[in-house]
Amino acid sequence: MIPRFLAVLFATGALTACATEPARFYAAVAMTKAQQNSSVPTDSGIYFRTGTGEWVHFGPRILGIGSIAAEPGNPEHLLIASADGVIRSTDGGRTWRQTTGWEVVDVRAIAFDPLNPRQVYAATQWGPLRSEDAGATWQLAQQGLAKLYTQTVLADHAVTGRVLIGAEDGIYASTDAARSWQRVASSPDTTILRLVQSGAEARLLLAGTQHRGAWLSRDGGATWTQTDPASATANLYAAALSPHAAEIMAVGGWDAGVRISTDGGASWADRSAGLPAKHVFVLAFDPDVKGRLWASVFEEGSFYSDDLGLTWLDGGLHGAYGFDYVFVPPARR
Amino acid sequence: MLPRFHLLQAALRLVLTVAACGWLANGTMAAGAETARGFQERRERLIATAIANLQEGDPTVGSFIDVAAAMQRGENLTAARARLTALNEPRPTGNMFWMYPVMAVLLNGGEQLDEANRARLAHWWQAYWPSRGDTENHWVMYYASLYLAAQHYGDTGLERWFNGRSAAENMAEARSYLEHWMKVTTTVGQGEYDSPGYIGEYVVPLALLAGWAEDAAFRQQARMMLDYIFFDYAVEQLNGQYAGAHSRVYPRQLLQPARVTASALGWLLFGLGDYQQNAQSVLLALSGYTPPPILGRIARDTAARPYENRELKRTRWRMRHAGENAIVVGDKRTVPVYKYSYVDRDFVLGSSQGGLLQPIQQQTWNLRWRVDEPLDASNTFFAVQPYSSPHEGTMYFGADWDTVTDLIARSKTDYDSPDKLASGSPYEQVFQHGPALIGLYDIPADSRFPHVTALFSRDTEDVVEDESGWIFARSGPVYFAYRPLVAGEWKPNDWTGLLGGGAGGWISNGFLEWGSGHRCYVSTARHNGYVVQVAPARDFDSYAAFQAAVRALPLTFSTETAAEVTFTALDGSVLRARYGEVPSVNGEPLDYAGWPLFESPFGVADRGSRRLEIRHGAERYRLDFENNVITQTFDQP
Repeated sequence: MIPRFLAVLFATGALTACATEPARFYAAVAMTKAQQNSSVPTDSGIYFRTGTGEWVHFGPRILGIGSIAAEPGNPEHLLIASADGVIRSTDGGRTWRQTTGWEVVDVRAIAFDPLNPRQVYAATQWGPLRSEDAGATWQLAQQGLAKLYTQTVLADHAVTGRVLIGAEDGIYASTDAARSWQRVASSPDTTILRLVQSGAEARLLLAGTQHRGAWLSRDGGATWTQTDPASATANLYAAALSPHAAEIMAVGGWDAGVRISTDGGASWADRSAGLPAKHVFVLAFDPDVKGRLWASVFEEGSFYSDDLGLTWLDGGLHGAYGFDYVFVPPARR
Repeated sequence: MLPRFHLLQAALRLVLTVAACGWLANGTMAAGAETARGFQERRERLIATAIANLQEGDPTVGSFIDVAAAMQRGENLTAARARLTALNEPRPTGNMFWMYPVMAVLLNGGEQLDEANRARLAHWWQAYWPSRGDTENHWVMYYASLYLAAQHYGDTGLERWFNGRSAAENMAEARSYLEHWMKVTTTVGQGEYDSPGYIGEYVVPLALLAGWAEDAAFRQQARMMLDYIFFDYAVEQLNGQYAGAHSRVYPRQLLQPARVTASALGWLLFGLGDYQQNAQSVLLALSGYTPPPILGRIARDTAARPYENRELKRTRWRMRHAGENAIVVGDKRTVPVYKYSYVDRDFVLGSSQGGLLQPIQQQTWNLRWRVDEPLDASNTFFAVQPYSSPHEGTMYFGADWDTVTDLIARSKTDYDSPDKLASGSPYEQVFQHGPALIGLYDIPADSRFPHVTALFSRDTEDVVEDESGWIFARSGPVYFAYRPLVAGEWKPNDWTGLLGGGAGGWISNGFLEWGSGHRCYVSTARHNGYVVQVAPARDFDSYAAFQAAVRALPLTFSTETAAEVTFTALDGSVLRARYGEVPSVNGEPLDYAGWPLFESPFGVADRGSRRLEIRHGAERYRLDFENNVITQTFDQP
């Protein structure tokens, strides 16, 4: 955590980012709890969490915002995944520009290639996209896909140009920056809802699926096996891997709540007690607070736990339907 | 500001070939002049009423469209300006439902629009980010408005626009989408087809373009699309009521079908039905669009009835679970919708083939009969297999499996209710020939609502449950017979009390007036179905004679392994259908593969042709979307 005096200096601009500055914590949500007799949420979009724990709306107020991504090393360069396409800012959110045309709809997830940030990938519900100019322009990336629906995308941070995408009928992999896709044979034939890669061990990947529970890969996504038999038929919308310890992982879903493994997936435990409902859509480990896990509970809000889900604390964003949590590290100096 | 006189432009493009028959052309033109006068009078009434809605000293009443009307005519301007200011505070809402009426104001405002409001609107086009929405009508409204806004604000840079794109970029994108939509619609059919309410959401953006697009070719395209949509409506309406299968319809529109935008448009365009003040009709009136006279002749021609009308439409794009019967258009999946209507002067029986053809609000088939006072009439009969599921929701919407049903029901309140009356069903197969119809069902045991509901409105009279198994009913000029394959029970409509209890806000407003007093015949079975036979009362000496005739019709059916029916209709045709198989008439399977975009005595369009030939008598009015040309000819008698 940043000492208070430093936080004040940051806030006043007296200091620029340095190694001790925490990542900025963004949440993509729709405020649906108060939505009655309407097809439109009362609010939606990206929020970020201030040092005092408040959530502040950020960026355009448009519908169907699924996620946000920042260029590695350049947090001023942001891309929003939305129902209206990809929305880009190169000045930290002061101005925004829609960089996709009418052909691009319902973007759910977006990822920079960590090793080559000019390559960006997006999962849309009508098929994936790729960009070779850091999100300024986009091309369809459908070659090799049997079905076009995609919901989650992962740019391998160990191998440039390697991308995995969660489709309607399993996981697809590309080794040529999404120019072509090959289905990963051992992945389940169902909609892949979330794909994450470990920051601690790059070959460790975790997937949440529709009706087929959680799946693990220990070889960078080449092969997958089901884990956690207790949630084997659940819809798991959330998956998270600790950036500090590869053996710690979490999945979450509808009626499944939060499930934690501390032994690399060998065993799992329900850690939902203390949450207002077992309807979990997003999970993320805080990169700056070791052991802190964030959970987004449908229309209840965000909650965090510093003891791997044994107890939970109110983290705000009440009434929100969460789609993603994103931690954006400060600029490299 | 008055709209561009696109008719003048159109006239330049109109190749009018009057072939030989001067008497015919003259007669037609004389009738056309009278029709035009009637249209003009109705148009002026709508506009005058809109202007009068605005009250000086009370800026809380009136709509953007009322303001636009006042601006165009230079009347009631103080009230209009005050109302416009109020409508945009504290900030805009409604996305494309803000965009299009605001464009109506800007395009009609001219010098009448005060500087403060003009500046405020320019500010909002920069500061308010309207979402594109998620339905086709949203997109057409969004992009038509964006196109005209870009035209209105001229050569402005990206800093002036909510989406960080310049006026030129916005205009190019908008036109690209709109032309794509027009191409798909005129090639494989409209997605949100034939909705009596949502027709207005297509008419307004097209009217804006037809009235105010500066590019003559694009203005012409919009005008042709209006002609196309109004033809689509004209051949399937009954005294202004949009009949036949609908993609989307709300509970009130199901039970009081004349109180809807389509009927309001029918009154404005063709003088059919009763006057209804309707903002979308007002906007059409302001646009300067005048329907080609041939459409009025078709809409009012009862002598040509009865006739068969076939149309090809498509489902909303399916993002997943597209199914084996899906076709690909570009990179989007859809399923063809085969519409068939039997259009009599006293009734229309119209249907689609069943299935999940539209999310949530589909009406697969209905019978509508002529009434003298349509506004409060419940002149309708139909059946539905109520279905709701995350499978359907996630097929069409970008929501998650476990929340999609709940979220749909936040706005379409009865979506997950067993007594709902609008629904597509994957377990349904419908087949119609003339005034006879067969519905078959294969409903899994674990289906959420395993029943079939037939709605007998409060306007039906002398309902007879005959020992033969037929249920007879009559109303006004029609007799109809309904033969459930599995016996059911009578229930009041809204038997859950959902809408009657006020759920859904505006959806259930006034329910006691329009929603009470109807009843349903509800049949529950794994394999189920029904047969419907309709006839005009004029064809029989009495109601009893109709019943006797239907009773005598050969009918065999089974619900053992699958629902199947063989039925000889009143006209002697033998209809055979078995669930899951292609039905046949007199042994000939239906030719779904050859189903045309349009086919009736009043018009033909081949699939993929982008050409619609509208016919009335010797008159031919051709819309050629490939070349953006209207051609009118009169053939030799």
